[in-house]
Amino acid sequence: MLILFDVIDLTSLEETYEALRTFDVLGIEKKPDVTATACRLVSETVGSSSSTLKDLFYALKANSIVKCKINDKAYQGIITRLNAAVDGASSLPDFYYSVGGLLLVKGSKGDVHLADADGIFRSVKAFRQSDGRWRFSSNSPESSAFAAGIALETLAGVVSLASPELDQSLISTLNSDISKLFDSIEKYDDGALYFDDKLVDGHDHQGPLATTSSVVRGLTAFAAVTDERLNIPSNKIFGLANFFLGIGVPGDAKDLFNQIDSLACLESNRVSIPLILSLPSTVLSVTKEDSLQVNVNTVLGSNAPPLTVKLVGVFTSGSKAASLVESQELVFDDGTGMYNLNNLPKSIDVGSYTFVFEIVLHEPEHEKIYVTGGQKKVPIFASGLIKIENAEIAVLDSDLGSIETQKKLDLAGQNAVSLSANHLQKLRVSFKLTTPHGLAFKPHQALLKLRHESKVEHIFVVGNSGKQFEIVLNFLGLVEKFFYLSGRYDIELAVGDAVMENSLLRAIGHIELDLPEPPEKATRPPPQPVDPYSRYGPKAEITHIFRAPEKRPPKELSLAFLGLTFLPLLGFLIGLLRLGVNLKNFPSNTVPATFATLFHVSIGAVLSLYVLFWLKLDIFQTLKLLGFLGVILVLVGHRVLSYLAATSAKLKSA
Amino acid sequence: MGKFWVIFVASISILLPFLCNSFSPETPTDRRVLVLLDDLAVKSSHSSYFNSLKLRGFDLDFKLTDDPKIALQRYGQYLYDALILFCPSVERFGGSVDVAAIINFVDSGHDLIIAADVNASDLIREIATECGVDFDEDPSAMVIDHTGYAVSETEGDHTLIASDDFIKSDVIIGSKKIEAPVLFQGIGHSLNPVNSLVLKVLSASPSAYSANPLSKLSTPPSLTGSAISLVSVVQARNNARILITGSLSMFSNRFFRSGVQKSGSSTKYEKSGNEQFLTELSKWIFHERGHLKAVNVKHHKVGETDESALYRINDELEYSVEIYEWSGTSWEPYVTDDVQVQFYMMSPYVLKTLSNDKKGLYSASFKVPDVYGVFQFKVEYQKLGYTSLSLSKQVSYFVSHDSGYNFSFETSLTSYLEETCNRNRSSQKSV
Repeated sequence: MLILFDVIDLTSLEETYEALRTFDVLGIEKKPDVTATACRLVSETVGSSSSTLKDLFYALKANSIVKCKINDKAYQGIITRLNAAVDGASSLPDFYYSVGGLLLVKGSKGDVHLADADGIFRSVKAFRQSDGRWRFSSNSPESSAFAAGIALETLAGVVSLASPELDQSLISTLNSDISKLFDSIEKYDDGALYFDDKLVDGHDHQGPLATTSSVVRGLTAFAAVTDERLNIPSNKIFGLANFFLGIGVPGDAKDLFNQIDSLACLESNRVSIPLILSLPSTVLSVTKEDSLQVNVNTVLGSNAPPLTVKLVGVFTSGSKAASLVESQELVFDDGTGMYNLNNLPKSIDVGSYTFVFEIVLHEPEHEKIYVTGGQKKVPIFASGLIKIENAEIAVLDSDLGSIETQKKLDLAGQNAVSLSANHLQKLRVSFKLTTPHGLAFKPHQALLKLRHESKVEHIFVVGNSGKQFEIVLNFLGLVEKFFYLSGRYDIELAVGDAVMENSLLRAIGHIELDLPEPPEKATRPPPQPVDPYSRYGPKAEITHIFRAPEKRPPKELSLAFLGLTFLPLLGFLIGLLRLGVNLKNFPSNTVPATFATLFHVSIGAVLSLYVLFWLKLDIFQTLKLLGFLGVILVLVGHRVLSYLAATSAKLKSA
Repeated sequence: MGKFWVIFVASISILLPFLCNSFSPETPTDRRVLVLLDDLAVKSSHSSYFNSLKLRGFDLDFKLTDDPKIALQRYGQYLYDALILFCPSVERFGGSVDVAAIINFVDSGHDLIIAADVNASDLIREIATECGVDFDEDPSAMVIDHTGYAVSETEGDHTLIASDDFIKSDVIIGSKKIEAPVLFQGIGHSLNPVNSLVLKVLSASPSAYSANPLSKLSTPPSLTGSAISLVSVVQARNNARILITGSLSMFSNRFFRSGVQKSGSSTKYEKSGNEQFLTELSKWIFHERGHLKAVNVKHHKVGETDESALYRINDELEYSVEIYEWSGTSWEPYVTDDVQVQFYMMSPYVLKTLSNDKKGLYSASFKVPDVYGVFQFKVEYQKLGYTSLSLSKQVSYFVSHDSGYNFSFETSLTSYLEETCNRNRSSQKSV
């Protein structure tokens, strides 16, 4: 809870006040630095004439808690400012801050009065609407219960500041307005009452907690200053108290302040002080003989006046039967401050009950001060240990009902029966449940579960007649439901109830079922969920198995064959020598000799191109080069050959 | 005219930070969250949960479900990155929000948290069903557990359950062990068994069942035992994440702060596991954990640095990829030992686990298989709770010239025929 205020920005006076007020009500020691910071903030605001009215108001409110030192001169300045503000006020918040401010100054300085209290009272009252709600200013059309709370608080301030005293008739006219406001109260199912303003456009919606809190603050402030008794049914105040107590601990600092501050207002109000009846424990064990304890406090946990708590009746939940016990008083225990009922009445066995309590105040005049909320119904669970006996499991033959195998079960301990049956037999499970008082007990959960190896489950409710629980599974009628799945079925029995202290879930063992083969159109078992852990995870690695290289002959053999391939070339060269090849016809003149050389070089180039093709070039590159070389070869070859032809013709003619 | 330009430029420059703030794969964390409530009191009664989100930098926008102005998108742009539905009893939403709008929101990669409760409305059930989760059809059913309840002085009907059957996944519920059981009070749901995207994060104990605690049980309950899921999550294929639970109160301040003692156990914990469990889970939902990205996919021959366009038989090749996990603020190296790469043509020829250098770089090297064809490097990484990675990169892959013959028309024809035969054979195999 304190964590909430750690994050509060202590530069906002409103939030500072709310934090201080919450700490104050809850009796939490303030940290010195919080007080110091708050005081610095307060004196800054109070000392400056440029601070807003709202800041001034909250500064004074915070000051009323931390009690900072403010000098008289500053007070005089404030009083002048506030009085001027009251005179010039035209809207409800203006009146609220200025009147509230003056009231706070009066609290610490005394001698502060409103000269024209009557006039101010009337001008504030002008914001009243006929339905009991109020407006924030005369030109805003929307009225709200939130504003009503503020207005009541302002008027209460006017009344206490008035000198001479205000006309009582003026005050009493408000009484009916408050009653009208309470007519618009809204109700939760559990009896809690609250105020809520309908969503209005153009104005920020306050929410039920802030609205209700505002009304409670206004109401209690007003009740404190009026002599008359306000005409509000006390159970409405009780309902409001229930609302604040029922919301739990709000997570928001503002909401927490509203809750705590409202409870503090209700704690000591003059309308009626709610007394709250609560039970520290609503689950009582019959076996352990727990005693019933009841606590009666005011909303913030202060002690209640002398009173008696009566147990009016005990009813079984959900039935309209008469009370199980006589009306009786609870014994007050001074040590714990609780009202006790030692030993639950004998007629209370395990079960869920509704206990009805009533608070009776000892002194009649307290009835006007306190509200007890009438009879209070509390649901109580009386739990106990249930005796389980005669647990048995048996396989029966279908037609005769004769017992084939029967096993005793110890449901308190471990069992591991192993049975087998076919579709013509039956399975019977039976046990007996008795309450501590020896009566029949019917638990909410009495389930028999059969689980097949493939995780298909079948659940049956175990029925009872009196104390005896029995279920007979006729497999012949169940084959279709069992999807014709033969095999091992694990048996589990669950017996449990909210009031059964020894609720159990036991694996009894298994049964081996032999069911007929499924016909073609049999329904298939539903898909079972896949285990998410097995769905993912790394797969087994795959490595490629390479083809084994083909077997090769030994290297020597390959080299020998390589050598053999050169033999024809050798033969060719020898043949050439034998034929007497010579170069005598090679042209001797310069020009033809050049062409002849080029011709041979070109042939060499084409041959080396073939080598290159073999080694690295592809066919397209080779053809491109070959085309180029071919043209040269043809040209050069033609020149050489024509020269040779010309020479030989000359020789012939010569 | 010039005046209009000034206004236009000014408005763009004002809007720009908001426009850039949207969900993006580069910074996958959601920032703007719409919270829909049926009752504004939830804002205060569940403030611890909301505050933990706000402290982590989320911008929560609270709206009542009947607010006529609620909208998930405007002019085709989503206004929020995530949606929290804390409105179990809503019958219809105000504004333009409906089931289809919410499903579209998720389909476009946004996250969702749904908390239902007893008497959950049909609308909430419908949204849950769309996500692959079925709440118990009986409107007044609650999860009851007579042996796994939380011991309480005031709650005697055993619907307040203390569960500690968590999913075994550090990425989803955090690496710190959750010591105390989690309190749950509400309705149970079951998962659609054929839906592989939805996971049970918190399951009920084997003795639990789902029934109306006030009426007699005459027919077997539809949900029993550990099949009951208390909290489930979905990770859609587009990496949108969804949290579904049947208890709104498990997020409440009261449950966060409450002590817990499980029946039958003597250990009493000062504080329930709810806060830790739900906060950690929200980190996963809002992509602060388990969101992976893979960058710099590379492959090359061993000893070279440039990516080769083709490989030859007996080449040693090296494949590498960098994987990072989003931590909420930055991309951190992801360290694990189960990322695998496949060298794939119709079926994987090589499947190898990548080794990592602890800085996010994963690599593996292997010898190219002696089969010709067009191969893919594939990384199909799926792990419980992580976003899945699916990378593939194609490489052509030809014959080595060391093998002794030229790549010529004849050989390419033969290899083509050979490959076609292989393909037909393997596709027949896979059929």
